[in-house]
Amino acid sequence: MRIALLALALPLAANEATEILQRNCYSCHSKSLQLSGLDLSSRQAALKGGNKGPALNLTDPAQSNLLKAVKHEKGLAPMPPANPLKPEQIAILESWIRSGATYPETSKQPQTPTWWSFIPPKPQSITSIDQYLDAKLTEQKLPKAPRASRATLIRRLYFDLTGLPPTAQQVAAFAADNNPKAYEQLVDKLLASPRYGEKWARHWLDLVRYSDTAGFELDSYVADAWRYRDYVIQAFNEDKPYNRFIQEQLAGDEYAPEDPIANTGTGFYCVGPNRDLFPDQADINRVETLTDFTDTTANVFLGLTAGCARCHDHKFDPISQKDYYRLQAVFAPAVKTKVALNRLSSLGWDVDENIREIKLREVGAQIRTIQDPCQKKTYDQKLARLTSEVQQAIKTPENERTPRQKELQTEYNSAVNVSDDEIRACLNPAETTKLHALERQLVNMFKGYREKPFACGVTDVGDYAPKTFVPSRGIATNVEATPGFFSALGGGDIPERSFERKTTGPIPMFPTTGRRHALAEWLTNPQHPLTSRVLVNRIWQYHFGRGIVATPSDYGRRGAAPSHPELLDHLATQFVKDGWSIKRLHRAILLTDAYQRDANPANPEVKKRDPENIYLSHFNRRRLTSDELRDSVLAATGRLNLKMFGRPIVAPLAKEEMYGMIGNPSSMWIVTTDTSEHTRRSIYLQQRRTFRVPMMEVFDAPEPMLSCSRREASTIAPQSLTLLNGSLVLEQSKAIAAEWVKQHATDDTLIDQAWRQVLSRQASTTESTKAKQFLATQTRNTNSREAAAAELARALLNLNEFLYVD
Amino acid sequence: MSINPLSRRQLLTRAGKGFGAIAASHLLQAAGNNPLAAKPSHEPTKVKSIIYLFMHGGVSHVDTWDPKPELTRLSGQTIPASFVQGLKTSRIDFTKAIMRGSPWEFKHHGQSGIEVSSLFPHMARHVDDMAVVRSCYGDAFDHAPAMYLRSTGTQLPGRPSLGSWAVYGLGSENQNLPAFVVMSDGAMKCGPQGYGAGYLPALYQGTVFRGGEHPILDLATPNGISPKTQRTTLDLIQDLDQNHLQSRAGDDVLEARLASYELAFRMQSTAPEAVDFNSESAATKKLYGIGEPLTDDFGRKCLLARRLVERGVRFIQLYSGSHLGDDWDGAHGDLTGSHNKMAKKSDQPIAGLLADLKGRGLLDSTLVVWSSEFGRTPLAEGKNGRDHHPYAFPMWFAGGGVKGGRVYGSTDEFGLRPQENPVDSHDTNATILRLMGMDHLKLTYFYQGRDMRLTDVHGEREFTRFLRGA
Repeated sequence: MRIALLALALPLAANEATEILQRNCYSCHSKSLQLSGLDLSSRQAALKGGNKGPALNLTDPAQSNLLKAVKHEKGLAPMPPANPLKPEQIAILESWIRSGATYPETSKQPQTPTWWSFIPPKPQSITSIDQYLDAKLTEQKLPKAPRASRATLIRRLYFDLTGLPPTAQQVAAFAADNNPKAYEQLVDKLLASPRYGEKWARHWLDLVRYSDTAGFELDSYVADAWRYRDYVIQAFNEDKPYNRFIQEQLAGDEYAPEDPIANTGTGFYCVGPNRDLFPDQADINRVETLTDFTDTTANVFLGLTAGCARCHDHKFDPISQKDYYRLQAVFAPAVKTKVALNRLSSLGWDVDENIREIKLREVGAQIRTIQDPCQKKTYDQKLARLTSEVQQAIKTPENERTPRQKELQTEYNSAVNVSDDEIRACLNPAETTKLHALERQLVNMFKGYREKPFACGVTDVGDYAPKTFVPSRGIATNVEATPGFFSALGGGDIPERSFERKTTGPIPMFPTTGRRHALAEWLTNPQHPLTSRVLVNRIWQYHFGRGIVATPSDYGRRGAAPSHPELLDHLATQFVKDGWSIKRLHRAILLTDAYQRDANPANPEVKKRDPENIYLSHFNRRRLTSDELRDSVLAATGRLNLKMFGRPIVAPLAKEEMYGMIGNPSSMWIVTTDTSEHTRRSIYLQQRRTFRVPMMEVFDAPEPMLSCSRREASTIAPQSLTLLNGSLVLEQSKAIAAEWVKQHATDDTLIDQAWRQVLSRQASTTESTKAKQFLATQTRNTNSREAAAAELARALLNLNEFLYVD
Repeated sequence: MSINPLSRRQLLTRAGKGFGAIAASHLLQAAGNNPLAAKPSHEPTKVKSIIYLFMHGGVSHVDTWDPKPELTRLSGQTIPASFVQGLKTSRIDFTKAIMRGSPWEFKHHGQSGIEVSSLFPHMARHVDDMAVVRSCYGDAFDHAPAMYLRSTGTQLPGRPSLGSWAVYGLGSENQNLPAFVVMSDGAMKCGPQGYGAGYLPALYQGTVFRGGEHPILDLATPNGISPKTQRTTLDLIQDLDQNHLQSRAGDDVLEARLASYELAFRMQSTAPEAVDFNSESAATKKLYGIGEPLTDDFGRKCLLARRLVERGVRFIQLYSGSHLGDDWDGAHGDLTGSHNKMAKKSDQPIAGLLADLKGRGLLDSTLVVWSSEFGRTPLAEGKNGRDHHPYAFPMWFAGGGVKGGRVYGSTDEFGLRPQENPVDSHDTNATILRLMGMDHLKLTYFYQGRDMRLTDVHGEREFTRFLRGA
């Protein structure tokens, strides 16, 4: 789009002196903050000065407060407080004041980027990623680990691309494959697997703080959130170009208003926290929702921690508070809406629902007519059996009861409760027949009831867009922020009515502001300095365990510097050139030698010299994530149900596992009736914002309130308790043991089967011997071969070999 | 009973000897990497543990710790609109509701003469050990946001709680028990995020102690599996893991995981011992109200809190009340009923806890804090109710070097807003951290480009000096 391209292609700022001021002084002394009353951002303001008088002295330049402060002369606080200016910079300022301290006229123009990540990546002359990495290793005098074994590689690839272990058969076949292209073919096969999307969608859902509920004390359902989850899985599986993926999520309703898939992408805005059901908190909710949109967008797509600028100019990064609200203004016209997934069936559903509502009102009235007399009769009978004092206490309205009456009421309340069974027993035959007819009617009404063919998305209120104001210390001001992008990234303003939605249907569409469309265009401009860098680095991090930029959502001054800057730029530019294809990027990374190295360093020295393995001399061993662990346990015992997509699954939990859940489990934890669904992949499990399944939580499933760019991998004792004593491993061990015992008359073949199934390999001779002894001992201990086999399964599922990927 | 604390090295070495399968050196190494190892505090302090008593649902301040005779005098009248300008809460309209005086009587107690209502006859006997703060305030009038605000410093869930910060800063004195223990009646309006670790690593999260012999989830050996069977299985795991480790020498994480199985195994014996009250005398149990129908439950929690303090647990959070009907929030429709009941349930146990800690010489090293998410409106809701009131409410501190018998801050004559020394959750959290030897400005965690603090950029009205008697 025009404005965006223009913004990025602006010439360098003219004046060196004002650039020094801008980089070192404006964060505290410009229009928006004015510490000590001082604003240095215009000539007029600098001449006027602050609490300590004028900053500039044009008649005696050496006496200028500005110079005194940067020279750390007495009488003024030394400036800038953290990093003093260099002598040559001071000289520039001095000669600038001598020459009259003119400010460039183009002060309204976007600033010129200076920070590395704000400068667009340039294509690099890197022909081989390995050559580039190797050169760094040589420079650091770090020896490379050898190539990992085939068995290690296939396990690594399977977990990395599908989140599941390979079977013993697949491992053996791959190890025996003589084709030199075997590895490459495996990469391609796994990238094409539907399991790939399920694994990689999880990374994305972590980033966009996905949850099936809204959070807070009601933790109400975001009933259609899962449509967005399925959209993400599909997007990864079909390798949707990343630029399109961004466009659909931020503004699918504007890009392709009639395409239900693109509109489902805007579910991005629906799957975060909200207080939509708290009407008296509407004001707070609106502020928090806009903040969530702004911060999440900046975090996920720009890799910036813009949130700091919500209250004041960013202390470390060149994001002013005004800039923050310019971005927030982009989202101000967005409102949540339902997205019809299919014109006909969505329409049909709405019509049915409309009739159903009217019918239900009538059914409710009929139920009351039939039951109320019996309800009252039974109640009166029960009440009459109590003493007159108790009767009086119960009859007295709640607010008028004496303390004694309150006690009596509490004590005897249940004695007058009328149960459903009692009502039914009291009904006469005619009433009973009527009630049965109603029941039949109700059942029929819901016979075809299924998920509604709608997703949650956003639309835009167009000309009704509310204005956005910049607050000061939490209080609204009348300083308006017009929609636009971060100045430091060369961002321009978004003109009013810059865009019109294209539709083909007979109904003209509501005109939108096009702000989100403009944002998506700006982000997906091939020259954008951050979009491609941030994404390629995320993918790199998910493969290697550490990003080239180790802070994957912070590319600001507090973030980590890239360990391999040229490689980052190479990957970023190549990614755009490759049509923003994430699968091609995977391929380029996975085919490197670096990725295929053994997880053990070449020698112990390496760990001392490069403890964080920044230079990738060996592979980073990693623990399975909570999702992978649960899926692997189910896969190992053959119980994993690979059905894809659909409404969230709720597997039963023991009472003690639900401890602390907000609300009543009968409403908050509605268990899926079909038990075969309980062993679906973890990505399909209901994810509440206020409650994580303990087994997942203990293995570091992230808190779905804020964007999570990297999961922790802690090592704590409760994890061992969970694996050893928790229900998942225990139940699965028992189930699989029953099968083993049935299939295998001898321990030898049972052990062989156990190793193959759980560890995807043959047992060694020593292991077999140990396992045999173990089975014998445990059979003695438990008086049951099956229980002994279950213990063997439990032990194997607890092994580090099972839990870690080399 | 006094427990002679073993040094970690001794403990691990001894423990290591018990298990042939794993060398003690692994345990030691694992301990070196242990983020929960005890750490020196920023400043010297005697305080080792904190017991945070949280009253779930909102306790009325004007009926407990903050007497308002003026409110009683004008009871039944509406309040001038200028007094309540800008005040907003969940159900009532401040400009229309009438004032309601407290139905409870206030009396002076102790040498200090601090006034306490007749709701808390037991706690009232300990006022000389308490510093009562009457001028707390917040800005969230719904339960969950207000609870998050109190414990994490923001209204939004998903940020680290005070307990997590404390454990992050100080580590734990006992590696065989969780460092941060939570006890509640189950469902709370804040959910687990009220004691969550937020963006801190998950290991700093509060561990819920449920009732029963095995208080921690998955702590007990599963039903039908004998200790012998369990040990045999554990030995096979360790044997095979050792073998796995041999070809991966020098991987600390794998070693730490091996050690974590032994720690887990030890926890299996330590935790049941901690929750076993058999060694407690009848007199002690009586002190806490154990055995009495109303006080038994919270009494047990309070006694367990003392036992955990003795065992070096750093942070113990107790909740009185739950989401499922039985809490202070019953005051919406029934102020007298809800408050009489909830006070009866917690008053004696808390007083018992203070007396017991003091009697055992543990009060100096244990900070006891009493708080709620907000107060209740001095104005009436319905015929016998009070609504949520986040604009003024009290809390108290005892033990942990706090000089008792004093009152900090005050509210206006109707209990609507703080008058002197207003303190928000940042100020109180900064104070609690300081009492534990931590500087809230230095206790930071780098996240999303910032050195995050529990107190964000606030906490400047910390009042530790007052509490210490300065």
